[in-house]
Amino acid sequence: MTTVARKHQDVAVMAHLLRRAGFGATRDQIDQYVARGYEETVEDLLNPVAARPEDQDLMDRYFIASVEARSVGHADPQWSWRLATTTKPLEEKIALFWHSLLAVGGIKLDHGLEMLTEIDLFRRLGLGSFRTLLFEISRNPGMMYWLDNQNSHKGAPNENYGRELLELFSMGIDELGEGAYTEDDVKAAARAFTGWASKPTPPPFFLGPFPMEFRFDKADHDNDDKLFLGETGNFDGGDIIDIIVTKRATARFVAMRLYLFFVSDEPDNAEIERLSDIFQETDGDIRAILRSLFNSDHFKSESVRFRKVKSPAELVFGAARLADRFDIPDMDSSTLANQAMFMGQHLLNPPGVEGWHEGEEWVDSGSLIERINFAASELGRTDSTGIQRMIELVEYAGEGVGPEEFVEACLDAMGSIDLGSGSKAVLVEHAAQNGPDTPGALDGGERIVEMFQLIVSTPDYQYC
Amino acid sequence: MGLENFAYSQTIGIASFLGRGFMNPVDMRLDSKGILFVLSRSNAGNKDVRISVQTLESDYMYEFGRWGTDPGQTTQPTAIVLDSDDRVFVTDEFMHNVSIFDREGKFIERWGEFGSGDGQFNRPSGMAMDSEGNIQIVDHLNARVQKFSPDGRFISSFGTFGTGDGEFNFPWGISLDAEDGIWIADWRNDRVQRFTPDGEFVSVLGSSGSGDGEFDRPSGVHVSAEGTLYVADWRNDRVQVFGADGGHSETLVGDATLSKWCQEFLDVNPEQASWREGAGLFEQEKKFWRPSAIETNDDGLVLIADSCRHRIQIYQRTAVMASV
Repeated sequence: MTTVARKHQDVAVMAHLLRRAGFGATRDQIDQYVARGYEETVEDLLNPVAARPEDQDLMDRYFIASVEARSVGHADPQWSWRLATTTKPLEEKIALFWHSLLAVGGIKLDHGLEMLTEIDLFRRLGLGSFRTLLFEISRNPGMMYWLDNQNSHKGAPNENYGRELLELFSMGIDELGEGAYTEDDVKAAARAFTGWASKPTPPPFFLGPFPMEFRFDKADHDNDDKLFLGETGNFDGGDIIDIIVTKRATARFVAMRLYLFFVSDEPDNAEIERLSDIFQETDGDIRAILRSLFNSDHFKSESVRFRKVKSPAELVFGAARLADRFDIPDMDSSTLANQAMFMGQHLLNPPGVEGWHEGEEWVDSGSLIERINFAASELGRTDSTGIQRMIELVEYAGEGVGPEEFVEACLDAMGSIDLGSGSKAVLVEHAAQNGPDTPGALDGGERIVEMFQLIVSTPDYQYC
Repeated sequence: MGLENFAYSQTIGIASFLGRGFMNPVDMRLDSKGILFVLSRSNAGNKDVRISVQTLESDYMYEFGRWGTDPGQTTQPTAIVLDSDDRVFVTDEFMHNVSIFDREGKFIERWGEFGSGDGQFNRPSGMAMDSEGNIQIVDHLNARVQKFSPDGRFISSFGTFGTGDGEFNFPWGISLDAEDGIWIADWRNDRVQRFTPDGEFVSVLGSSGSGDGEFDRPSGVHVSAEGTLYVADWRNDRVQVFGADGGHSETLVGDATLSKWCQEFLDVNPEQASWREGAGLFEQEKKFWRPSAIETNDDGLVLIADSCRHRIQIYQRTAVMASV
């Protein structure tokens, strides 16, 4: 392979990593990451420096209602800002992942403050031990309320949390609806979680909401022996989780979901088995699984690039980050979550405990129009730093280049993205018919921006 | 520990999206008749902003300046001040302007536009009237204070971005003392700065932290008629009081009881009252959550805008302290 070809491949692979482990990257950022090295970049992404965001004070100042967010709508500005501007993209991406897998919805828990607390829990623990994450989400007051565990009492257990813990959060069921657990295991888990609940808080209707807190009521906990997945003991919720995380079904369930989220909408059984092994070898270390996933030849291969439908959040925040137009929180940044909602993903309010159905289901004729209109609008913001830089990069590629080179320069400037040959041919033809020498054609930056907008209007752009 | 120089008096307010009550009140002023004008910032996306008017006896009167960008509307209002004729001035950091209403809320005019030139704004915030009726306005993203005549004519400005003496980092609140000396809540520098009426730097008070005399993003500053300095120590959820030579005198953390409006709400909603009783967070209910502004009157009342609890907590000063 020539040096030029090698560099081109390095850029393409890095761009792929940043689309999956983040929300894409600008062309300049990709060059910086390439200079850093692929495996080093993976480590940087997996180990973001933990710190209170320096701009949290600005968010709170400009959107004071989001500090005590009484509803999901009031909380939106906070997460929108973080998604649009974070320098720790995998931290937000993993929060999105767990937000859909360990889903708590605002439709019942209309408590924006608690929803933000939960997202922060995913940021802090989402790349660590699955056992710790599952334990902490089981002590999350919003989750306890969402799945009715405050109604689960000694002698009268509510099975909702025990059932979803096994079916949707850890072990899963197969295509026949069968789980690696029985109905009796669900009942035993429910008994083990009796007494786990949220503390009552005053109603929000006169002083606003109060932060929710977890409460363990020892007197309301079932202390009798339980038979769970073949083991017997006076188990509490933590013991149940300890047992769950040792099971191959759990390893496979988590590996499958990580694969579907980060690699491809179509599962690859061999790769999922490999990742399951890592889960079991590392006691469910999500960071170790993702490290192996991102560094694998399978992940880097062309066969999985542009094979995942972008979620609305990926599309909205990817385009917004490309435009790079937010220096400081403002009305526009606060409403980005609304754009994702129009496309079918109401952040902080997943449709049910199953989270969102992802993949091709994201796109229908209505949402496609929303997606194209939004992306075209963002790419048309010629006053933004990101778009101005992209125009510069295309101009550097040379004045008067041929239509094919012009389209390639635009794709490269947009973060080294690629299109199928069909879409590319249409764009090349358009560029040829509207070249710089064509009477009445757009010139300079306008022609480049038009091409950006045409690119984001192709079906191919819906994939990452 | 009890209060030394203050006694808790009462609380006005209830969380409400319109009419009686407030939604994230960020500033307030008393008019010449002692009527309270409260600016609800809310969440601009939810369009609940307004200026509401009520007596200190919790008698709601009317509201104006609701959400929008048309004349007479506000979008992201930041501060309110009244002149000697009780005209109401409101800064708006979305529209980068100042809207003026009469006492009844009838729109009079607005002036200001986005920019960094003389008389232009980049997110105007706190305002104060000097003894001649001119208005000092904190132009916070331009890191300066601009002085205008009552009809909006630019007079002068001072300040620049930075951390040194006389420099600002996202300043917010402003107050003028009896000699028109200027006090600024230099929000992101975690300090209060004092200037002469002409904008010459005099002194600085405070540093980052949570101890006495330290601040975590001070939002509001107020010098009372007798010269006591109050600072809304925003992210420390408290108000610090300073006496002579800037010495820390006392800290208020919130002592709210149920307001008349809250009590009436609970009286007619017994299930909500029962819910509250079951939670039993009565001590937590008392505390400030992001107090943002302070107002005083000649009777020694100290009003504090308790932004995230949607109310105004009122104290009575019980001792006269040496002035700053």
